[in-house]
Amino acid sequence: MASEFRARSLGHALRYKGNAGMWTWMLHRVTGLGILAFLIIHVADTAIVVYNPEFYDHTLDIYRSPLFRVAELAIFFAVIFHALNGLRIIVQDFWPLAMAHQRRLAWAAAGITAVAILPIAWLMLAPLFGLRPEPGAERHERRMRERGVVTSETAAGDHGASTTLVTTVSTEGAR
Amino acid sequence: MSTVVDETPGGRGAPKRGGGYERPTAYARPDGVMQKKGKFELYSWVFMRISGLLLIFMALYHLVWWNLLVGVEHLSAELVLERWSNPLWRLFNVALAAFALLHGLNGARYSIEDYIRKPGARKAVKAIVYGIVLLALAWGIFALLTYDFAAASRR
Repeated sequence: MASEFRARSLGHALRYKGNAGMWTWMLHRVTGLGILAFLIIHVADTAIVVYNPEFYDHTLDIYRSPLFRVAELAIFFAVIFHALNGLRIIVQDFWPLAMAHQRRLAWAAAGITAVAILPIAWLMLAPLFGLRPEPGAERHERRMRERGVVTSETAAGDHGASTTLVTTVSTEGAR
Repeated sequence: MSTVVDETPGGRGAPKRGGGYERPTAYARPDGVMQKKGKFELYSWVFMRISGLLLIFMALYHLVWWNLLVGVEHLSAELVLERWSNPLWRLFNVALAAFALLHGLNGARYSIEDYIRKPGARKAVKAIVYGIVLLALAWGIFALLTYDFAAASRR
């Protein structure tokens, strides 16, 4: 080890190099470890569906809480960034010209993630405030109609659908 | 990552006649113990690229489908079991879980090897992380593979 960087403080650590390369590297790591932590829980709890569907439905109620909805959006953000930045790394590995533009490409990966997350955030968070129906409401509606279950979601209209109503309909109707 | 240490300074192999150097034949662990150079790191690098490329499509499709097209609000055990009644979707889920968890496990290994320098602590943390991730993966794959038996017993 020719030289080793020893950060004296968090501020010092964050100033080290401190350009796009360092920030995307750091975010790549944090998002990767975050996704892994979520994935362990997600795989373990989804596997329960095979043996105990009732208990699985109970765990879903936890995922429907506002806190978890924000967490799900964070997971979405993490996956998009990790995917784009990972793609950038792969392209740079195999294409020398891309390596010459690595800083610009790093900002591009971060920028595209930031833009892509906006509509997704709207789709996932707006229903919390009653601003739009839950994502997949139409598909759910169609599915219920095919089975002859009448839901009040259609009666409530597109924009006036309150969150509580949607919740009642979907969780009860699906079972 | 471990530093390449060999007979010559600068992390290179022995000088070749007529210029150049041999490829290094051993690595030193952080505690200075020499280890024979294997191909594991090369294969892990290749695996990260291949699984990463596949996961871009598989994971993003999975997220868009369940979060935006189905919606967590409308999700139910019934819906999941209906989809899994098709063995091809179960196979997709086995592949997704395996690629994602193993890609994540190798990424966690990079981080552990970067930050935990004491050999004992490194071994302990690795054992815990490997154990948890591989247990989750085994449990997930077991559930997907025994789906038919479980479905028969539910009826």
